[in-house]
This record gives sequence, structure tokens and C-alpha cells, in this order.
Amino acid sequence: MTDYYTDSKAEAETGSKELRSGTESKWTSARRSASERIGRPTLVWIVYLVVAILVVPILMTFISSFASTATGVLPRGFVTFEHWRHVLGFGDYGVRANAIPGLTFSVLVATGGMILNVIIGIPIAYALSRYDFAAHNWVNTLAILPIVPGVILGIAFLRTYPDYRGSALVLIVGYCLLKSPYMVLTVQSSFQSIDIVKLEESARSLGASWPRAFLTIIVPHAKRGILAGCIITWTLAAAEFNFTYMVHTGDPEPFSMFLFRNISNAPYLQSAAAISIYFSIVVCAILILQLLGNRGFTTLNDDR
Amino acid sequence: MSTVRLESIRKVYGEEVAVDGVDLEIRDGETLGIVGPSGCGKTTTLRTIAGFETPTDGRVTFDGTDVTHVPPEKRNVGLVFQSYALFETKTVRKNVTFGLKMRDVSKTERRKRADELLELLDIADLADRNPATLSGGQQQRVGLARALAIEPHVLLLDEPMTGLDAELKLRLRDEIGSLLDELDVTALYVTHDQEEAMAMCDRIAVLNDGRVEQVGTAESIYRQPTNEFVATFVGTSNLLTGVARDDRIDLGFTELADDMRTTGEVTVAARPEDFSLGGPVDATVLETTYLGQRKDLQVELPDGSTITMQVDGDADYRAGDVVGVEIDPENVQIFPTGIRERTTALL
Repeated sequence: MTDYYTDSKAEAETGSKELRSGTESKWTSARRSASERIGRPTLVWIVYLVVAILVVPILMTFISSFASTATGVLPRGFVTFEHWRHVLGFGDYGVRANAIPGLTFSVLVATGGMILNVIIGIPIAYALSRYDFAAHNWVNTLAILPIVPGVILGIAFLRTYPDYRGSALVLIVGYCLLKSPYMVLTVQSSFQSIDIVKLEESARSLGASWPRAFLTIIVPHAKRGILAGCIITWTLAAAEFNFTYMVHTGDPEPFSMFLFRNISNAPYLQSAAAISIYFSIVVCAILILQLLGNRGFTTLNDDR
Repeated sequence: MSTVRLESIRKVYGEEVAVDGVDLEIRDGETLGIVGPSGCGKTTTLRTIAGFETPTDGRVTFDGTDVTHVPPEKRNVGLVFQSYALFETKTVRKNVTFGLKMRDVSKTERRKRADELLELLDIADLADRNPATLSGGQQQRVGLARALAIEPHVLLLDEPMTGLDAELKLRLRDEIGSLLDELDVTALYVTHDQEEAMAMCDRIAVLNDGRVEQVGTAESIYRQPTNEFVATFVGTSNLLTGVARDDRIDLGFTELADDMRTTGEVTVAARPEDFSLGGPVDATVLETTYLGQRKDLQVELPDGSTITMQVDGDADYRAGDVVGVEIDPENVQIFPTGIRERTTALL
């Protein structure tokens, strides 16, 4: 029976190979169009240029953190770990001893905000994608309303919950609220790209209760959106300054505030090391989330 | 497998009546087809059996047990969708074993039963593949295996072959039909493709505007439609207007006998194959359509009405030709105005 599909499959594969390699079949013209000759290469170079503009400063900062001096056009005197050593707490850094407590605190609080977003954002995105209820559009709008400046939300928090000023809980809830639209929008987009009604009905007809169908079938199908939402909400929360500045007091000091207070007082190369550490943590967090996302949502190789 | 009964099922959404008093029985081991135009209520009927719709009135029974308010996960109903709805986060085998896992069947037994079904559906070599990498036909087989794995009271197939190419559809149609017979499954087959329903189903229910117009075998629905809707929806029918008087119906160009003893205007439904050439009525060919083995002729009768008739594919007729036509009264159906039941014409 399976032989039956061979012809059409082979045909499709040949077609896609032709498209990728650019080889000509009887259907393609021998003469390349102007768009193909000029338009596409131009577009590709624009993309390279934009990426370079974005990446070069980060790369330069990272490289500089290992240089002895940065007084010229390019940093010189490689390779030294002195600035990293200072930042990591093995020496004095600016007005603070080291960045580790602030980094750890920021990582934990951002993770808390992200987890809260997963718990709240996924059901909201599901309800908005799955059900047509009264005031659906209003709820949809409200779900993305928290895209407001951190300062405004900070003031609102201080006025509403003055007793919780400076607590980690306020930061977690605030980060969750501030970044929730990114979670809701990305997960909603994932849900809308699959037939959640039919998937849910399949699972239920096979004997799964609604919660089980939701958790074991629907949620894993939206893994790309959930993963993207986690990465966006975590990285934005970890770097959030305005809201943190408004509501947070005392120790440990979140990393964004630590950087703000110290960059102006510390030598450039030590600041570069601090930023590089932060950047490395963000990259690690993204890699871990992707790993978790790829392994955590699939049972393709699971034989339990 | 079970006997499924729908008793006076009515489903209303706001002011819209989707299903209006449907009475149906799917007998133990039979495949009942539901055909009808879009919006006739066929999918709502299927979803009512599955438990995803609660009827406004009426009840659903499985082997005499009322399941009207039993949730879908407790009904033991197999569902096969047009869009497959396979779990792409699981392998083919895990898709098939999912329902068994929900029933706490042991891992060994789950695997054994899944492999048997995959073997039966000739997709055993795909067991460890991701469903997303399979062709449409292969995915539909996986969907069928998954639904059959739980040994459902009733298997519900919702337009499972829509979207597949014509050749594959024909092949799969035969295979699924044989499989349902072999496994003696009670099945409901919803489709808008009447030919598919005729080929696969033991009996067919024709739905229109939420009501059952007729239930019967493919042959009885085709040859003995009970009303104009069935006559025109299932296959092609020529509807001719006649006047009944003195046990005869005057069609303008010929007369038919009438055993209904009706008077007044009647509608006569005749299939294209009920007309033949060489008759006494002169008709003008308006259009010819070559269909391989046969050729469809659109001809204009002396009273101005147009009919479609079939001739041999090799017959050489062109627009403008004048041909002699006669009507075979054997299978012609007569629907007196105001009376829904059909009569068989006698010449």
C-alpha cells in the first residue's frame, strides 16, 4: 500500500530540490529574472548588514572584556581574565563587592515571573483561541493591555500594594504582568496554527478527561509558542529596569539596577565583563529552555 | 460493537435549528452513511453521538442504554476526522496506544494491539515515525487504527476522505470498506460524496435541513427516492412536470400510467439512463459531454423542457442533431403535488 505514494512523493522531492538548487526543469525559464539576479542578493546583503549592526557591539563588548586596555580604536592586550575575576567577586568592582548576588536574584525573579506567565498565559491563550464567548474581543484586548511602560505599572503597584514595596513577590508579579502579553500572543499564535478543537475531541473520544487532554495533548502541540514565550518573557524580565527601579529597595539588588549604578563608576572593561556575564547567562537560559522545550514536550522517543 | 439509536434528536443553536427530530438506528455491525448538502445537520448528528453536542430534545442510546448525558470520554466512541487530528508530539504507535493507555491497559498489551492494527492497515513500518511526516493516506490509516484500537461501540467517520486525491480516495474507499466489514464494526460514515457513501455503506440516510428525508440501501435510495429532494440530490434526475387525470399522466410529449389515482399537477423524476434513443419523440441535441465510456446529451423536448440522457461513449451526436427519444417508465418516480411518498409508474 505504501508504494502507492512513492510517485507523488518523489515528484515533490524533485521539485523541492530544483527549487533549492536553482536547477532548471522544463517549467523554469533559462533566463533569470531581474528580481532573481539583483533583488534577492540585495535583500540577503541587507539582512547580513542589519544582523552585523546588531551583533558587532555585543561581540566587541564581549571581546573587550578580555583585553587589558581599550584606549585606542580597538581593544588591545589579550587575553586577561582580570575584569571577569573582579566582576565575579574575586576583587573590588565599582562601589559593590561583586555582581553575583544581583545576578542570582535577577535570574530567580525572572524565572519566577516566567513560570507565573506559563501558568496564567497558556490558559488565557487557550481560552481566547478555543472559545467564542461574550466579550471575547475585550478580553483579548485586556490580555495585551499590560504592554505599558514599567514606570507606570510600578507607580500603580506602589499605590495599590504599598506594603509589598521592595519584595521579590512584587517583582515576580510585576514582571509577569509586564511581560504576559508576549506569552499570551506567542502561545495564542501557536494554538491558532493547529486544530485544537479536533485534537481535543480526538483525545477525549479516546478516553482522556479534559484536563488530561489539555495537558498531555494540547499544550505539547503549542510547544514552539510556549518556548518562544518563555524565552521572551524571561530575557525581558531579567533586563527590566524601569519597573524594578520604581518598586525595589534593599538587598539583593537586581542586576539591571546593579549595572545602572555601577557602569558609570567602573572602568569600561569591567563593565564590559559584567555585561558579558549577563549576556552569557541569557544565552545559557535560552539554550536550556530550548533543550527543555525540545525534550520536555515530545514523547516521540518515550516508551513509558 | 453496539446498536446505536437516535430518538427524536433535536438540536437548536439560538434560533437556528441544526437537527430537527432525527430518528436513526445504526444496527450492530452495519455501516450507516449520512449524506446531505452543507449545513443539513450531518456533522451535528455525528457530534451528538460522540457526546460533543447535547441535544436540545431527544435521546441517544447504545444497546438500549441512554448515553445522552454521558461525557465523550466515557462513551467509548472512535472518531476519525477529515483533518486526521493526529498527535504530532507522539509516534504513530503512541497515537494508536493512546486510547488504551487511557484505559490502563498494560504496556505489553497496548503495544501488541497497536502492532496488530498497524499490520492490518499495512502501515507497520511507520510505527516509529512522526505522523507529521506521513502522506495524507497514511495519516488517515493511522487515524483509523487509533480509533479502532479502543474497540469502540461505534466508529464515527467525519468525511475522512475529503482532501485526498481521486485515485487514492478510490483505493482507500475499498480498503476501509473491506476492513469495516471484516472487523464487523458498527460505523457511521458522514460524507457529502454520495458515490463514496454508496460504495461503502450498508444503508444510507439522506439529510436535508436537519431532517431525515430517506433511509435505505444505496439501490433503494437511487432507484426509489421518496421525494424530489432525494431524487435530485442522489445522482442526477430529470424532473418533468405532468398533469395527472384518469389514471394517466400527460407529460406533454408522452403519457405514463399512474397508480396513485391523483389529479392535478405532478412531478416525474427520471434518471438519465431511463431515456433511450430510437423513440417516437423528436428532440434536439443542445450539448454533448464526452465522459469516456458514456456520453451525456442535453436534449430539448418538444414541450421546451430540457433533459439529460446517456448514450454510448462512441455514439456520434452533435449539437443541433434531431434524435428520437423515449422514456422507460419502469423506474420513473412520480411525486404528486402535496404528497411526499413516491409511486412507481406503470405504462
